[in-house]
Amino acid sequence: MSILAYNGAAIIAMNGKDCVAIAADRRFGVQAQTVSMDFDKIFEMGPHLYIGLPGLATDVQTVSQRLNFRLKMYELRENRRIRPKTFMSMVSNLLYERRFGPYFVEPVVAGLDPKTHQPFIASMDLIGCPMITDDFVVSGTCSEQMYGMCESLWEPNLEPDDLFETISQALMNAFDRDAVSGWGAVVYIIEKDKVTKKLLKTRMD
Amino acid sequence: MALPKWTTIAAVEFDGGVVIGADSRTTSGAYIANRVTDKLTKVTDKIYCCRSGSAADTQAVADIVKYQLNFYEMEMGEEPLVHTAAHTFRELCYDHRDNISAGIIVAGWDKKEGGQVFAVPLGGMVVRQPFAIGGSGSTYLYGYVDSQFKPKMSKEECLPFVANALSLAINRDGSSGGIIRLAAITKDGVERITLTGNQLPKFYEDH
Repeated sequence: MSILAYNGAAIIAMNGKDCVAIAADRRFGVQAQTVSMDFDKIFEMGPHLYIGLPGLATDVQTVSQRLNFRLKMYELRENRRIRPKTFMSMVSNLLYERRFGPYFVEPVVAGLDPKTHQPFIASMDLIGCPMITDDFVVSGTCSEQMYGMCESLWEPNLEPDDLFETISQALMNAFDRDAVSGWGAVVYIIEKDKVTKKLLKTRMD
Repeated sequence: MALPKWTTIAAVEFDGGVVIGADSRTTSGAYIANRVTDKLTKVTDKIYCCRSGSAADTQAVADIVKYQLNFYEMEMGEEPLVHTAAHTFRELCYDHRDNISAGIIVAGWDKKEGGQVFAVPLGGMVVRQPFAIGGSGSTYLYGYVDSQFKPKMSKEECLPFVANALSLAINRDGSSGGIIRLAAITKDGVERITLTGNQLPKFYEDH
């Protein structure tokens, strides 16, 4: 089994009308065995900036901790909040530093610009190649399933409530076809004045 | 190539018959190729088998056994014993043990001994047991079945016993999931039950 499929994960981020959404499953497992169903893979990096980290669980934790450190240093030096695109480059740099012995995570970044509130989503491979899109990004063990769901369900300029429905259905129906992801899901809807976190009721198998 | 070794199957005998059950997930790697698989396969009118292991191998073996027992029934003029069915499975599984991957539970009713459960695991041994569990999900169930099984249960007690066991395994085993298929085999025939969605027994969940 591939090292990126050892723990299993599923993460999607989608663009909406003046908002973004990021959603992930909550399973923590070791190959086929599920150990817990409340493992967080989405981390808050700023009031309107989130990163989703699917992949090897130990690297999920280490990368989020190291990233947090770099982000805090940035904020101390610059005395301002980081912009999503700059943050994406920071993640990319962190991953490429380990080009020949990489962290086994393939991150997804979602957020709003702190000043202009422009929505932003991006994803990266495990050595930091960034990809910015204006519709959706997916990452995880059921990425093919997620691509199929997103491609069919997504449309531009979805309002926050509709975006919530769309991203939830895309994620759930994708990970229901994957043996190593699922067991609960969390969705963050990020708008310019608030962030809503919702837990989905999903199949627990 | 789909492999439901990654599965959970169970069978328990009661006075008057057997209850058998299985999950419904077939995986090909991590991809769920079939989420509504039927792993409870009829071998004769009153004898079923629960299949775990390679889908191809167990389907082929079950088809051969079904054919052979059908022939036997015509020659003998009466339904075969569960013991005969189990040993027919064993003959194939043992003789081809190096080439196939099949973990089978044979269960049914005959008029000589009533309800019986026989386990025919990977190497091709046969053992009669009051209850049997198999598949990758069964590792999560040994404690549960050892503590919850009582001898001389009724059919109404056996059904939730098997359903609860399967539900617990499905909750923890990535290779088991979907719906729960149950079958109760008695002298009057076979009653098939399917538990979907909210009908699955629920246990502690922190959300």
